Amino acid sequence: MTSKTESETKVITNNQTLNRYSSAIKSGLQHGEDYVELFSTLVDTKHSQSLLEAAIGLTDFKLDSKFLTFPHQYSDEDVQLVFMQRLLDLNQVPQNFAINSVKRVEKLQAQFRLLNDDNFAFFKSGKSNSGFFFAPTRNQKPLFYLDLQRKELLFNSTALVSYFVVTLEGTEVANIKNAVSVLIDFAKILKESFGFRVDFNILDSINGEFYTFAAGAISEEVLDELFVDAAQSNYMLMAGDNGEAILNLDNDIKLVVKNDGSDSHPKWGALVHDEPQKESWLGLILDYPFISDWYLKNNKELAIISDPYIFG
Amino acid sequence: MVEENNNDQFEQNDSQLASALTGKVDYLTDLQNSIKDGNDLHVYQLINHNKYNQQLDVEPDLNDNATYDFSLAQNLTPELSHHLSYKLIDYLGETYPFFYYHEYELGQFDVYFGNWWDHRLFGKLDVINVAFEFDEEEYDKLAQSFNLEAEGKRVNEAAMQRLAAENDHLTNLVVEQPDRNKQRAKLQGQMQEIEGRSAMPWESAKQKEEKQVLEEQLVEIDNLDNQANDANKKIKSNENEILKLSKEETILGFERQSLKQIFGTFAEFNDSTRTLYKNYLLSFLGNNAEEKQVSDND
Repeated sequence: MTSKTESETKVITNNQTLNRYSSAIKSGLQHGEDYVELFSTLVDTKHSQSLLEAAIGLTDFKLDSKFLTFPHQYSDEDVQLVFMQRLLDLNQVPQNFAINSVKRVEKLQAQFRLLNDDNFAFFKSGKSNSGFFFAPTRNQKPLFYLDLQRKELLFNSTALVSYFVVTLEGTEVANIKNAVSVLIDFAKILKESFGFRVDFNILDSINGEFYTFAAGAISEEVLDELFVDAAQSNYMLMAGDNGEAILNLDNDIKLVVKNDGSDSHPKWGALVHDEPQKESWLGLILDYPFISDWYLKNNKELAIISDPYIFG
Repeated sequence: MVEENNNDQFEQNDSQLASALTGKVDYLTDLQNSIKDGNDLHVYQLINHNKYNQQLDVEPDLNDNATYDFSLAQNLTPELSHHLSYKLIDYLGETYPFFYYHEYELGQFDVYFGNWWDHRLFGKLDVINVAFEFDEEEYDKLAQSFNLEAEGKRVNEAAMQRLAAENDHLTNLVVEQPDRNKQRAKLQGQMQEIEGRSAMPWESAKQKEEKQVLEEQLVEIDNLDNQANDANKKIKSNENEILKLSKEETILGFERQSLKQIFGTFAEFNDSTRTLYKNYLLSFLGNNAEEKQVSDND
């Protein structure tokens, strides 16, 4: 009797186990189907809103379950890149940025059409499961931080200068600007269509944007240097009425370097003023070699601050 | 009548006093009206009648018995200067567009050369006498810069070259540090070799001599090492000095450029400032003549 009971128990238990297995597979498959649906939307949808929802849904999705794993998967990083490229396409931004062709499931990388062969990709930020860095794969210094879930995009001045100004030195400026404009367009779409919080940082071309220097105070020599360097390039750094320095550049573009704080709590920085509001700090650095030399030489003082928590 | 006057000297005195006071009152009234009417030309005439006549080649009017005694209004100089500055600075803005003025106290004006970064305080403007009072040192620097320019040179050229050469030298000292380290090791090896040698008594003088040569070379290396150690600091301070000098050159360059744009040469500029009083007052006459002509035409 005793043994029979044991055997019955065993049968029941086995049965349960098998049932649990099958329902686990079933839910795993359902989970997989949900994934496929999201993935198809990411790849095929014609609507920006559903594209964003799909990308958010796929990020941190965890496709594998205990009984069902999928050997070939695109990573969350890949999802961000597909989202970026598709959002640009949907908004008819000229095709200057494209994901490299792939033959199998592998890490996705993209290139700017007019730049050299540098590859770009998203990388886990470590700041949150939904936050990613966009960077050249050669050094992974993040050009911007993207968090679709929290609707945030923050540009990183240090890496932008390091890549577009230093690494790409000698590249046709128009081509560099073309690549930069892709990033700006991407951020603008996110801001305008979905209300993202975007810190354009040195890419901001709004006239009132104050680019704060990291040092707070800057020494007199730094401005003297700009004065001398500008004169050698036939531009005149002028003295404003309130102690600010004003540099009149081509096409009525005006660079103002000033203290936005007080004498005891200085907050030096720069403003770029132009009627069409198209010129940014990075634009000036790219267009005027003497400004770029000056900025890089005095970078300790002049570095424009980026979000210290994200990029610190 | 004659008798009366002779007899009453006090009465004559009173009438002289009355007439003198009338003269002064007239002068001040004249001044007051000219200020009210904005007739700066006449104000200048009242301020310094002789200079006015002399500079404008006006024949003194023998029938003019008016009193011209600026001492009556002398203590109002700041107020007058402020009043006259409006038109004068407008005029100077046209004729010397590169000068900028700052009224640091009522009627007292600093003159700045240019509106570029760190423009120089170049002197003062004497509104009452319509004259620039240039700061001698600053003026001389500009004059020298014009002279040197004619020879294709710059004021700070020698100093800048010296500092640049010193920085090259210091940079080399730093770069050559590894070579000196090798050289030192070699010399020290030789020294040990000499010391280890058991010399015959007649050889000890020679040995000493050899050691001394090596020691001198080692001291020389120490010297260079010390210089190299201080080099980075010195290079930085030289760079700052070079920056200061090139800033001054840049400013002088802008000053020369501005002057040449308006006056062609430094000499022309100097002539112009010397005859500023005359030119300024003539500009009123020119305007009056034009205005008169316009009203005649009407």
